[in-house]
Amino acid sequence: MKKTVGGLTLGETGTVDTIVAPKPLKRRLMDMGFTRGVAVKMVKVAPLGDPIEVELRGYNLCLRKAEGDHISLQETK
Amino acid sequence: MTTLALVGNPNCGKTTLFNQLTGTTAYVGNWPGVTVEKKEGLYHGMRILDLPGIYSLSPYSPEEKIARRYILDEQPDLIIDVIDSTNLERSLYLTTQLVELGRPVILALNMTDLLEKNGITIDAKKLSMLFNCPAIQLSASKNKGLEHFEETIRQTLSSGKLPACPLFSNTVERYITPIIADDYLHNLPQGRPMRWAAIKLIEQDELFLSSMPPVPATTQKLIDQARAALTVTYDDDPEAVIIDQRYKVAEKICAACQTTVKKEQRFSLDRIATSKYGAIPLFALVMAGVFYFSIQLVGGITTPLIEQFFDFINTHLDAFLSSIGVVPILRGLLVNGIIGGVGSVLTFVPQLFVLFLLLSILEDCGYMARIAFIMDRIMRSIGLSGKSIIPLVIGTGCSVPAIMCSRTIEHQRERELTVIVTPFIPCGAKMPTFALFIAFFFPGKWYIAPLIYFLGILSVIITGLISQKLDKHKETNAFILELPHYQVPTVKNVWLQTKERIAGFVHKAGTIILLASAGIYVLQSFSFTLQPVSADQSILATIGRIVAPIFKPLGFGTWQAAVALLTGIAAKESIVSTLTVTMGGAALSSVFTTRSALSFMAFVLLSTPCVAAQTAMSKELGSDKRKFWRAVGYQMGFAYLVALLIYWAGGMMV
Repeated sequence: MKKTVGGLTLGETGTVDTIVAPKPLKRRLMDMGFTRGVAVKMVKVAPLGDPIEVELRGYNLCLRKAEGDHISLQETK
Repeated sequence: MTTLALVGNPNCGKTTLFNQLTGTTAYVGNWPGVTVEKKEGLYHGMRILDLPGIYSLSPYSPEEKIARRYILDEQPDLIIDVIDSTNLERSLYLTTQLVELGRPVILALNMTDLLEKNGITIDAKKLSMLFNCPAIQLSASKNKGLEHFEETIRQTLSSGKLPACPLFSNTVERYITPIIADDYLHNLPQGRPMRWAAIKLIEQDELFLSSMPPVPATTQKLIDQARAALTVTYDDDPEAVIIDQRYKVAEKICAACQTTVKKEQRFSLDRIATSKYGAIPLFALVMAGVFYFSIQLVGGITTPLIEQFFDFINTHLDAFLSSIGVVPILRGLLVNGIIGGVGSVLTFVPQLFVLFLLLSILEDCGYMARIAFIMDRIMRSIGLSGKSIIPLVIGTGCSVPAIMCSRTIEHQRERELTVIVTPFIPCGAKMPTFALFIAFFFPGKWYIAPLIYFLGILSVIITGLISQKLDKHKETNAFILELPHYQVPTVKNVWLQTKERIAGFVHKAGTIILLASAGIYVLQSFSFTLQPVSADQSILATIGRIVAPIFKPLGFGTWQAAVALLTGIAAKESIVSTLTVTMGGAALSSVFTTRSALSFMAFVLLSTPCVAAQTAMSKELGSDKRKFWRAVGYQMGFAYLVALLIYWAGGMMV
């Protein structure tokens, strides 16, 4: 199974590969900067384990894990 | 008149800049047909329009559709693109879309004061050159950098210079050029710039296509070719390719204009505010502090003072009026009806003012967004969003602004549910009723008041669970939340927001409640034959007796209680004044028992809110009015059931 943004552990960084989601959600996530090749770092997890806060393109964004799971990451070599 | 449109990401300080520029001339309305706020104001004789905060101009979210339609169809004379300087790259992503719309643009690089702290420097001159438009560094919250703002606007307006559209990669541009050259785009409706239109055609943007004449087969062929080639080259759909290209442009420009020195992480409040163990206790503590300060401390001092003030006025006015020979019925109308009714409402203004003030501060300094973040998990388990917390908290003051705050919730179902459950939270207007009943039936029983709040919260939870069971619908909207920088709240923002909210409350006291108080006084003083009679023979009593049987099972099937609840629909504050007037000096125990007092309080707490809040509900639930009526029906039914249960339970215990 491919790793996703939702599956990052605290402090871990990944590189965005593709987004597989219905059109409006895909567009929204891409509008926020999740495009191919962008580094995403997990910086914070809410006290109850969800949502999460990630750092990308020099800013921080909160999203739910379920939404992060639509963003798959590139395999690390 | 010259029109300037403010556009920018949410949290870029757009509203602060708007407040700074327009001061007190701001006017809030709604965009036609949708519940997105429309703010307008004046700046040196020019009209400034605050467009909704957006990240992009996609055809999916209502805010983005509005901003886009406005710029294309209304053709503002100038776009002021407000940019959060600490978040340049993502801000420029929106800029790359704005510059294509064929209007002059000014880049307002806001939050400059935070740059140094973050180790960032921005070369505004270079940025201005790359986009061929002015770029001004400013700080709206510190009111800095605005000295030459007007001058820059005037210069840009008179030169009529259009910004430059940064180009995409050659591969992509190769497909845009022939589409621009095609005859089809040369008959564009006014205000549709060609490059933008060509890109929209490649994206197959539904909103754009529906506004255009049908695409001829030859043009369609060009588009299909472009789409197929892009899909193959980039291994993604054309819409995604364009987004990717825009971000590449933003990255490039950002790299050219911005230098960042890594600064060591300084202590952030978030170490506690969103930490694993500290976050929720801190939230509880902050909320308890807000309520203790506003209701207990301030309310405790001001409420008796204002009551005394109105008593004083009433006694003296009554004496004065009778000394000049005013008939008793008029005297009563003025003294007991109008001043009594309005006075009982105004009593709550100081503590509500403090409550709204504190909540505005929490919002403006950035803490509210943290609450949404830490509470999302809990709220989602009952079908709400973390962002529902904000309406629920503001609902303790007044449901009307609270319901309007639900707008920021992306998921439609979560938003609608928030609108329906917000009135379950006891608002300021219901407090007088609880205060009266608790003082009379439960003196010294401190736990009753918190129990009322608890019942409100419990009702929110139960409703959420029910709706989750009923719902089979799948949502595709993302929960997007940015935790803004902590900042010292700006006096102007906090003041304007508090003023707006408290003004709504006072306005209600001056209109609906004034009329209702006067009307009730008249109705309870006359019979149907217009003879002055005692209250229990009056028109009001007759109406009350017709309605009362409905409430019999709940223990308060008296005409006084029924009438009080009816007037409560106009404004919940009226419940107390109606009871006072209709009982004509008799003690509460002549109408209620301890048991029925409890069920009455529960019914007041949960039944459908006042007309003003209903109007807000109806607006936020959208054009399908059946949704609104179902919501009101649910609230009524739920209130009735809970009150019934409480009355039964009370009976078992006695």
